[in-house]
Amino acid sequence: MESALKDKYSIVGIGETDYTRGSGRSTRALAIEAIRNAVTDAGLKMQDIDGMLSYHGGDSVNSSTLAYDMGAQLNFYMDCSGGGSSTEALIGLAIGAIEAGMCETVAIFRSMNGYSQVRIGGTGSRASTPVSGPGLMTRPYGLASAVQSFAFSFTRHMMEYGVTSEDLARVKVAHSNHASNNPKALMKQRVTVDDVVNSRWIVRPCAHLLDCCLETDNATCIIVTSAERAKDLKQQPVYIRAVQGRGTKPGGDFHYQHGPISRVAGHYVGPRIFDLADLSHDDIDVTGCYDAFTYTVVLQFEAYGFCEEGEGKDYIKSGIVNLGDKRPNNTSGGHLCEAYTHGMNMVIENTRQLRGMVDDYCPDWQNGNHTYDYSEGGCRQVRNVNTTMNMGWASPATGSALILRR
Amino acid sequence: MPVYEYKDLLLNIIEQDSEYFGYFEAAKEHKLVVKKCLDCDLLRGEPGASCPWCSSMRSEWHEVSGKGTIYSYQIIPHAILPGFRDWTPYPVVLVELDEQSGKPLEHDGLRITANLLDENMNPEHEENVAIGKRVNVVFQDMENGLTLPQFTLSDEEPAGAIWRYPNT
Repeated sequence: MESALKDKYSIVGIGETDYTRGSGRSTRALAIEAIRNAVTDAGLKMQDIDGMLSYHGGDSVNSSTLAYDMGAQLNFYMDCSGGGSSTEALIGLAIGAIEAGMCETVAIFRSMNGYSQVRIGGTGSRASTPVSGPGLMTRPYGLASAVQSFAFSFTRHMMEYGVTSEDLARVKVAHSNHASNNPKALMKQRVTVDDVVNSRWIVRPCAHLLDCCLETDNATCIIVTSAERAKDLKQQPVYIRAVQGRGTKPGGDFHYQHGPISRVAGHYVGPRIFDLADLSHDDIDVTGCYDAFTYTVVLQFEAYGFCEEGEGKDYIKSGIVNLGDKRPNNTSGGHLCEAYTHGMNMVIENTRQLRGMVDDYCPDWQNGNHTYDYSEGGCRQVRNVNTTMNMGWASPATGSALILRR
Repeated sequence: MPVYEYKDLLLNIIEQDSEYFGYFEAAKEHKLVVKKCLDCDLLRGEPGASCPWCSSMRSEWHEVSGKGTIYSYQIIPHAILPGFRDWTPYPVVLVELDEQSGKPLEHDGLRITANLLDENMNPEHEENVAIGKRVNVVFQDMENGLTLPQFTLSDEEPAGAIWRYPNT
């Protein structure tokens, strides 16, 4: 059913820190810088923020701590436990909090020293955490990292549909081409299929090193308020058309009891968000598809119905996801090449795309003038972007989605 | 003490962790068990606190044959956990047990994660790991009293085609 709240709320500010591997700073300092950048972007003051939402895995700073630094009096805040696919969900919760009258302007942030302190990949301090509960069924067998916990879905999908390492590598190649036009990207160099398949194995047969995203130190922020209030702010408003998730597969299925295990949560999230948005796939101009690994992209394009099940590899191979083609994906380079932010940077990028203000190498991008020359070191603004979609991923069994409009 | 050290991991297998405690207790007696619902009689591979089919909280541990088929696999050449480095490259398999395969829904099954080990309880050679191969449960007893259910290749012929990724 069509959402009664479509286009009634806006993203009015976006901000991030530099993407580094070694920030030398606290998650508190990183968070404040990202929030400050987003507040400035919106034309607001720190004290205008009266709602905050964040997500973390025990690796970050709380909103109440930041309120001191911001001099803010908060009317609403929650710090949620969660990883990928939380970005989209928290945008939905921000709308809910404002709609309920609890607050007016919400800053959503994620701050993580994801390279120098707590690595999502499971090395360092996380490797020595005592094991209890569901982890007893997997960790004693040597499963610890995200890709290891997803690999049963990936391998099974390879068997069912004949996916090859080269098919997966094409995801990385596309995103690296995009990152080469992104001054912020951690990995700007373009790579080839051979580069990916010749990088060392992380998990056979589904992930080489270059199939995996880049653990990064960073903070990011997205500010949400009503479309009514957005009219008076600095930027061209970007309207939140619809949001859905975090949603799960039937039974949650964190241990692969139900099937098909190669079908991921987007299969259930997708129909709902297109209903809420009253739009179809043909309306989507740019996608942001959570690329923790090249494989998550293949599976999500299938699950969300941008192609048939088993045809994710062909969707990528067709070139449709490339800048200059019909529906570019992860134009910033995403998690594979720009930075690993737990999903935030792909919503930020789509916001920039909708504003026509992508921060690429075009000399006059700050005035919205772009060359549309997508060769290396050039432009990454897509022409005439009206509608974007984000597809968030936490695991094969959990995901979320967001549709934004100009 | 219900805390076991295994490959530099600390495993907290305590009685109050009621969904998992019995699984490891049964393993000490070399029994592979799953939860059985006492109301609808369906088995479940991930133990859980209630029956996903009828919501009953009444269940018992139920011994299964330990025979199954490799449903998916992965080979880990790059260990994240330091204690597994001397095992690399090691296989981790998702085994679908023979009991209740394809029930109650077509793609459902009792699926257990474990390592695939050889007759000496070392990681099975990678080229022998394939989806569709038949396996049997084995029990890896440690000196500290911990027993882990594991799997080993069976002599049985696979029921259908087997698959592993080519050239790996």
